[in-house]
Amino acid sequence: MTDWEIVLQEWPRLASGFGNTLLLFGISAVGAFLLGALMVGPLRSRSKIVRIALRSYVDGMRMLPFLIFVYLLYYGLPTFGVKLDAWTAGLLGLTIYHCAYVAEILRGAWDQLPVGQTESAQAHGYHGLRLVRRIVLPQLVLNTAPVLGNQLIYILKDTSFLMIITVQDLTYAASSIQSMYFVPLEPFLIAIALYWAISLLIEGFVAIVQGIAKERGLART
Amino acid sequence: MPAPEEVPVLQVDDISKSFDGVEVVRNVSLQIHSGETISILGPSGSGKSTLLRCINWLEKPDRGDVYLAGKRVGRKEDGQLMSDRELASVRTQMGMVFQSFNLWPHFTVLQNVIEAPVHVLGMSKDDAVVRAEQLLEKVGLEAKRDAYPYSLSGGQKQRVAIARALAMEPTVMLFDEPTSSLDPELVGEVLSVMRDLAAEGMTMLVVTHEMSFARDVCQEVMFMNDGQVVERSTPEKFFSNPQTDRAQRFLTRYE
Amino acid sequence: MTAGGFQMLLDGAWTTIWISLIAIVSGVPLGFVLSLIRVSRFPVLSQIVVLYVSLGRATPLITLALFLFVTLPVFGVNIDKYTAGVLALTLNTASFNTEVWRSAYLAFPQSQIEAARAMGMTRALYFRRIMLPQMWYAALPSLVNEMTLLIKASPAIAVIGVVDLTRVTNRIAAQTYEPLPPILIAGVMYILFIGVLVRLQRHLEKRAERYAT
Repeated sequence: MTDWEIVLQEWPRLASGFGNTLLLFGISAVGAFLLGALMVGPLRSRSKIVRIALRSYVDGMRMLPFLIFVYLLYYGLPTFGVKLDAWTAGLLGLTIYHCAYVAEILRGAWDQLPVGQTESAQAHGYHGLRLVRRIVLPQLVLNTAPVLGNQLIYILKDTSFLMIITVQDLTYAASSIQSMYFVPLEPFLIAIALYWAISLLIEGFVAIVQGIAKERGLART
Repeated sequence: MPAPEEVPVLQVDDISKSFDGVEVVRNVSLQIHSGETISILGPSGSGKSTLLRCINWLEKPDRGDVYLAGKRVGRKEDGQLMSDRELASVRTQMGMVFQSFNLWPHFTVLQNVIEAPVHVLGMSKDDAVVRAEQLLEKVGLEAKRDAYPYSLSGGQKQRVAIARALAMEPTVMLFDEPTSSLDPELVGEVLSVMRDLAAEGMTMLVVTHEMSFARDVCQEVMFMNDGQVVERSTPEKFFSNPQTDRAQRFLTRYE
Repeated sequence: MTAGGFQMLLDGAWTTIWISLIAIVSGVPLGFVLSLIRVSRFPVLSQIVVLYVSLGRATPLITLALFLFVTLPVFGVNIDKYTAGVLALTLNTASFNTEVWRSAYLAFPQSQIEAARAMGMTRALYFRRIMLPQMWYAALPSLVNEMTLLIKASPAIAVIGVVDLTRVTNRIAAQTYEPLPPILIAGVMYILFIGVLVRLQRHLEKRAERYAT
């Protein structure tokens, strides 16, 4: 059997791994965005306690390697009686880690928003979550589309770290096939091609969003 | 008056240039002889700057030719385009002063002035420094020789830019709206340097909005509109008795 | 945490540091050279660079490290885990650095280039004397940012068996049966390293802002 035939035979394994990668990516990406968006407002809160607490959390996540955070959840929490399986630890890790980055990206953009925007909305009675959701957030997202797109790609790539705690993602699948059948090249080529394809899709999506932003005069050149 | 057989310093024949399908310069010709100062006037968008930039081939003319002291610029004898290196060599003889000064911010004033003489003309650093110091004194900025551009006023920056261009000892100086970016109080110091230059016999082609300069210093005034030369005469005739309608309208706006 | 545990942590930290350092020192100039090829638009080479950058930024470090470690021997290149780790990190960071340098090049003020051309400077000359000294200054904050990303991604080399600061916590836990302390300490150490770089980056950003024309 040629190497490619072996890999073809094992395609369910690859598909399953790819499916896991996509699932982890999809759920955590949505989660990270939702949490990050919820966090932006409080991040700029007038309450010092809230602001400092969230600030420390965001800065902490941005100075910590992803894997160490996952280790903390997977290997560290059992010390407190909380035993997470690899999947849950991975999903939580991705979401909690990356929502800090999303929050920071959106915060940076919010700081650059002309103050008049928020003030005029407040004058019309908008406040709190509703203010953020309907007035501020759409602008922030359109303004930062490329940077958010990059963050999505980072989330995708970080899913591969989870193979170290035995989550059976795409890279795990490729590695298993390689070690079982001694076919070093092909499984990885396919895995890399798949990661690449998703990245290109994400970038294409970002381009579309940017097109919308330009139409509405919101793109920052 | 120049001798009739003298080769003009600059001969510009029928230059045309379009951007995005719009013709910005249309069949413009001019001639300038040694020691002359010609100013080019006109409303914004009349193609004056583009014309100037076509002369030293910062913009490539679509049609037409430029001759510097009889030698073709931008194209070789056989009509082929000049190489980057050949074009650069010709440009050393044409000084240019820009509307936004375009000094190099990572160099001091002195370093700005000696940069091209040393690295393009191959002058020794010492000789270049001597020449630079003379020029900086001439424009009144010898005290600022070790200052960086960010600390200078607009008028000072432009005077450094003039010294920098003069350091190459060009045969002709091209000025692209040299005072248009300056606060009114600072215009005078730059015009004063330019007047001195003209009086010393430098050949100058000046795109400007400064009517006093055009009137007092130039031998010829070219008025451009919509990419074409609409009127061309001596300053006396142009300012006292403009021939064309457009020139008249332009002058009433500025006087 | 025992004294032995601390020693192991320090060893792990050292491994992370020296591997990251080599990758950074190699990746910055490599990215620079590749960006030159890219902006000069060399016929075939620049397209290869575009491909490399696209792939390099999309491929997870874990996948890349495994791929290199496992595949290169097939082509006769016998590679040990440390070299594979350094190579993976370098290739990865260089692909990002290429874009950083390229952005700095594209953002360079045209006005300064025009003055240089008007004075008879050729492209090679003004690139060397006018653009480069200012470009690397403008590129510095992004380059430092990329360094922090490299260190944060460096635990990926554990997958090919390198005992770095993250992986070593498993080893310590295997001995002491207390997984939490080494993880916490390792986390603090990472925050310290990266914190220093982040501070440096902020400082450089402020400086670049001041000198922007």
